[in-house]
Amino acid sequence: MVRRVLSLTSGRIALVILTVIALLAVLGPLIAPDNPLATSSDTLAEASGAHWLGTDYLGRDVLSRLLDGSRVSVLGSLEVALTALGVGAIPGILSVYFGRVFEWVTLRLTDTLVALPFLLFAVAVVALLGNGITQAMLVTGVLVSPLFYRVSRAATLAVAQSPYVEAALISGASIGWVVRRHVWVKVLPPIAVALAQTIGVGFVIVSTLTFLGIGVQPPAPTWGGLLASDLGYLTQKPWAPLVPALLIMVTVWACNLFADAIRDVSGEAGRALVNNRKARANRLADTDSAAHGDPAHVHAGGA
Amino acid sequence: MSGRLTSRSPRTPFRPGRLRAAALGTALATVLVPALSACGGDASTAGGSSTLKWASSYFPAHWDPVVSGSGAQFRELALVYASLTRTDATGKAVPDLAKSWEYNAKGDQITFHLRPNLKFSDGEPVDGAAVKAAIVRAQKQKNSALFGDLTSIKSVDASGLDAVLHLSQVDYQIPQLLGERVLQIASPKAAQSPTKLDQNPVGAGPFTVTQIVPGTKVLLKKNPDYWDAKDIHIDNVELTSAPDAATVVSGLQTGVYNFADIAPSQAEAAKKAGLDVFVQPGFNAANLSLNVNKAPFNNDKVVDAVRYGINRQEFVDKLTFGYGSATNQPFPKGYVAYDPQSANDYAYDPAKAKQLLSEAGYKAGQIKLSLVIPAEDPQAEIVQAQLAKVGITVSIKVDKNWATPFFAKDLTFSLYGTTGRDSAAQTLTAHFGPNGPLNLSSPYEPSGFEAAIAKVRQTPLDSPDYTKVLQAATRAGLQSKALVFTYSSPNLIAKSKSISALPRNPAHIDWTGVTIDSN
Repeated sequence: MVRRVLSLTSGRIALVILTVIALLAVLGPLIAPDNPLATSSDTLAEASGAHWLGTDYLGRDVLSRLLDGSRVSVLGSLEVALTALGVGAIPGILSVYFGRVFEWVTLRLTDTLVALPFLLFAVAVVALLGNGITQAMLVTGVLVSPLFYRVSRAATLAVAQSPYVEAALISGASIGWVVRRHVWVKVLPPIAVALAQTIGVGFVIVSTLTFLGIGVQPPAPTWGGLLASDLGYLTQKPWAPLVPALLIMVTVWACNLFADAIRDVSGEAGRALVNNRKARANRLADTDSAAHGDPAHVHAGGA
Repeated sequence: MSGRLTSRSPRTPFRPGRLRAAALGTALATVLVPALSACGGDASTAGGSSTLKWASSYFPAHWDPVVSGSGAQFRELALVYASLTRTDATGKAVPDLAKSWEYNAKGDQITFHLRPNLKFSDGEPVDGAAVKAAIVRAQKQKNSALFGDLTSIKSVDASGLDAVLHLSQVDYQIPQLLGERVLQIASPKAAQSPTKLDQNPVGAGPFTVTQIVPGTKVLLKKNPDYWDAKDIHIDNVELTSAPDAATVVSGLQTGVYNFADIAPSQAEAAKKAGLDVFVQPGFNAANLSLNVNKAPFNNDKVVDAVRYGINRQEFVDKLTFGYGSATNQPFPKGYVAYDPQSANDYAYDPAKAKQLLSEAGYKAGQIKLSLVIPAEDPQAEIVQAQLAKVGITVSIKVDKNWATPFFAKDLTFSLYGTTGRDSAAQTLTAHFGPNGPLNLSSPYEPSGFEAAIAKVRQTPLDSPDYTKVLQAATRAGLQSKALVFTYSSPNLIAKSKSISALPRNPAHIDWTGVTIDSN
């Protein structure tokens, strides 16, 4: 599937952006030009050779704080997505096979979770358990999990009623084997789409919470926190909020682009789309090479 | 209107072009007139009445003055409530509801004489009984935030328009104390239900409340029965809880507000927007609160290390945008209680701080402190960075329920900023007294402070010795190991040029004589 995603321009763009963001999360604190917590007397300085993105209200290097803060955003959004995947996808698949009671209970639980506003709930949990991004994201992941539950359940239901799965079960295959052999393959693409989307949603949630000062204790830098503090000094540095805002926007956009790319190439229709594109590209290449070999065409093209 | 003209005129043929123009005009008028009215800065004054539209950063959570306490929100409550006294431009107590007062010869009894024929907005008379009820309520109501301020008052006798206060000690600070901050007087009838009063204030101040949206907005109109109503030229007040600091100036520019207290970082934007920036003198002072009853501050050398490790000028440079000044006292420089002799105590000396920590037996990084604050605050980050330089590791903990452990004296290390009090003695006791609400180390008090503050109370305010005695009390208080003062910043107010200049009463907003140009 990765190869098929990479065959799309949108998939390649998204993957490049997401790779850069992932590298920032891993290497950001190492490549930061300054200590992100070190204050100086040079407050609210404009961009310069010494400080590429200027300094903040305490004279700290903004670029270093952005680089250092990327880890919180990436890890937080991954935590949301992976928690939602674990809590939602597995019960979603099993609800088709584990009988009516399990199905009823999980469906009602899912309905309950959907009714809870996850942002407010995350704020409440932080108030209850103390200010920390881990617990906030864990709870958010649980509240987002109905998406995975529904996607995986819908895909499993479609596969479960297919003749070859019924034949396998009648032949004595275990449910576990059927899930591993037939269901998982069919469920994976929609889950991958949901996962990529949820990572994007996770970025928005992490940024929102940290913008509100929730989840991370000062002076730890975060993209949302930088955005919030920059808004207090618009008179002095009107462009400053653009940098963290753009970072958040581009990352979320890349996640959604990646999700779209996965959706476009998954399933039979996706395979057909990619094959058609390849065929079309081959035809164009053939036509092009033929045209380049024709002196008359070269002459006409050069006119 | 245009539609009516075109459709009813028999001489005007229906030409499609004119019809379209008329329709367009009608649509534009329908959309733009209300929009422009809403945006216009002078919309409120169009009818000839003047409206103050105040975006307040200290929007009161409580409208019962006894519950609200003597903090910064007293200025908003003073729209509704009047007091026995108020302060003038020099900070001295002058008559308000009381036209005069006098002490007995010993100085342990004071009689306030109230103005005649005054009434609260519910029609109840403003008399000695109302004053007595207000004091008793402040001393005894379960959720009173003022009882600690009135310890000098033993009992009150009411006789017609006189209120006689019997004091437990000689105390010449009482007229200063019973001003707008500490004794805003509510109608005793309304105060019979404190819960109701808390959301439906009834006072005898310059305005009366017409509508309250709790936590958001309050509408008020001029009180014609206010004793100085002839000098109040504002007809209506819209008091709104201020939005994010960054958007207040925009609100002022577009006429949503015409008066707002602003952060120093917004002052330049306000000036550029053509607004008046009023630098109101005040008594604001920020501090680090240390609990000497808990480790490591039970070691004097660690306390001194913190004192020497704090660079006050950095707070001024980074937080006040040129409006503040460094101070090592609970007052700004120049205030009558500011002690010049103590001005250079504990000047920034990081080398000495390190040495003191070493003498106390601590290696660099060995002391780890949790600085608990109610909300994100750049001050905390400055403290953290400065103490890191001398070898103390500080982690910042934002606790939304900070007030409970702070006032219960359970925290070890915190920050506080006072907006001061009209009585300097009250400011000093609040910080340094054994039960002072701002003394995180209660019941600790510096030696000699109690005697020094008693001497202040015993000295009449017009005595030639008063300044000397007061500064001596400040000096005694500053021996406290529980507080490290850092900087002072004045209150900044941005206002539309249509509002006339405000009286320069320190820390108070006095609406007497203030006009709003309706043109």
